[in-house]
Amino acid sequence: MGYRDVAKVGLGGPVGSGKTAMVKCLVPRLVEKGYEVGVIANDIMTQEDADVFRESFADLLPEDLVEGVETGACPHTGIREDPSMNLAAIDEFTERHPELDVVLVESGGDNLAATFNPELADYFLFVISVAEGEDIPRKRGPGVTQADLLVVNKTDLAPHVDADLDVIEADASEVRGEDPFVFTNCKNGDGVDETLDHIEREVLFA
Amino acid sequence: MTTNADAFLAALRLSDSFLPVGGYTASYGLEQYVNEDRIEDGDALQELIAAYLRRVVGPCETVALANAHEASATDDLEALLAVDERLHAVTMPREFRESSTKAGAKLCELLEQTDSRRTAGDPTGNSGGKVAGDGGAGCGEPVDLESTFADAIAADETPGHYPVVFGVVAQARGVSRLEACLAHAHAFVTGLLGAAQRLGRFGHTAIQTVLADLRPTIRTVCERHVDDEPRAMASFAPLAEIMGMRHERAERRLFMS
Ligand SMILES: Nc1nc2c(ncn2[C@@H]2O[C@H](COP(=O)(O)OP(=O)(O)O)[C@@H](O)[C@H]2O)c(=O)[nH]1
Ligand SMILES: [Mg+2]
Repeated sequence: MGYRDVAKVGLGGPVGSGKTAMVKCLVPRLVEKGYEVGVIANDIMTQEDADVFRESFADLLPEDLVEGVETGACPHTGIREDPSMNLAAIDEFTERHPELDVVLVESGGDNLAATFNPELADYFLFVISVAEGEDIPRKRGPGVTQADLLVVNKTDLAPHVDADLDVIEADASEVRGEDPFVFTNCKNGDGVDETLDHIEREVLFA
Repeated sequence: MTTNADAFLAALRLSDSFLPVGGYTASYGLEQYVNEDRIEDGDALQELIAAYLRRVVGPCETVALANAHEASATDDLEALLAVDERLHAVTMPREFRESSTKAGAKLCELLEQTDSRRTAGDPTGNSGGKVAGDGGAGCGEPVDLESTFADAIAADETPGHYPVVFGVVAQARGVSRLEACLAHAHAFVTGLLGAAQRLGRFGHTAIQTVLADLRPTIRTVCERHVDDEPRAMASFAPLAEIMGMRHERAERRLFMS
């Protein structure tokens, strides 16, 4: 058993876009559907983030399926050029839990160019938020264009930050072509089931 | 001592921070020194790295590497495992041990996948294959020490410390023992300097100055320890070890060690 034997879903995107919030939305739903889930936090103060996950998933996941991976102040390196320490953590998960179905890997918040190494993530969500500016999809960063699924989060904030969801939708359709994107609100769960459908269809049923 | 072009390129590859074995996640306690405001300028950084070279990299890792290289050259698995075990015993802070064994395992795994064709007749590859008894990759096929050691690491039969793996794979690619030690020490220094630059506020010129100034130390330390016996292996860096151990309990951490 090793990292190749388990489905790996990466969550990338800028700091504060809602990656952690999305993981917190996805894990209970995955568990409810009967999947055994592991979670890795690459965020900047990783042990702190891992502790937050351990606490919020206390009734859902064994503690040893939540791990923080320190990336030496190089978050993009950890998920792209050299994912070896993430893969080592996943190897430990699969050794302890051979039945593991899926690992969610949250990257450290990064820039719009950060993409996941395909050996680390079979499926890669890029999470942006409407509060970071409605022009983000239009800028065509590699994260936005190459992700398997683009997640546009915090739709509830759109009216407060003068972001027009129609503009974002039109831009996202244009830059993504055939590739999917979803609108989400991690505060009330809007769009999370749709996100999960994509993940299930593309990686868990595959 | 120099070396053919293939060995030179192998040494460059092994000492390049591009090698994906997680080197960028290790600070060997440097993060703790910076957090405790013990490193304020380039001189202090240089002094600290020189101390690491003299007290840890030289007497510990270089000795392990050199003896692993020797064991690989003589195809002596028993000696190799003894070196690995000894290095494990003398590496005090848990995080140092973990960084080192994770990187060692990843280097083995990586080369197994990328360089496996090496054994199929590439002259720059394996220097001394042996014949597998049973088990192995099929009866009668040559199995080199590198694969045997990789299997032992994967099966948790030996810790698989990075300098030990480094010694084996460098030897198998024709890198001489001293050059392997130099390549490893150089990579250690550039790794630590990169960590320092990301942790503190050092200019690129200041960092390169430290690197240039450390060159004689790298060389002296490697030359001094390249012929040491395995039992000489010991580290004499109580403060670094204390920093490494305090790092384990630090609240703010960017690095694995
Ligand atoms: N209003 C609103 N806030 C959100 C939403 N998703 C996340 N947040 C908040 O945004 C902040 C950053 O979210 P977090 O998930 O930590 O971002 P990360 O850095 O990408 O992991 C937190 O305060 C979250 O509660 C959302 O859909 N709507
Ligand atoms: Mg986060």
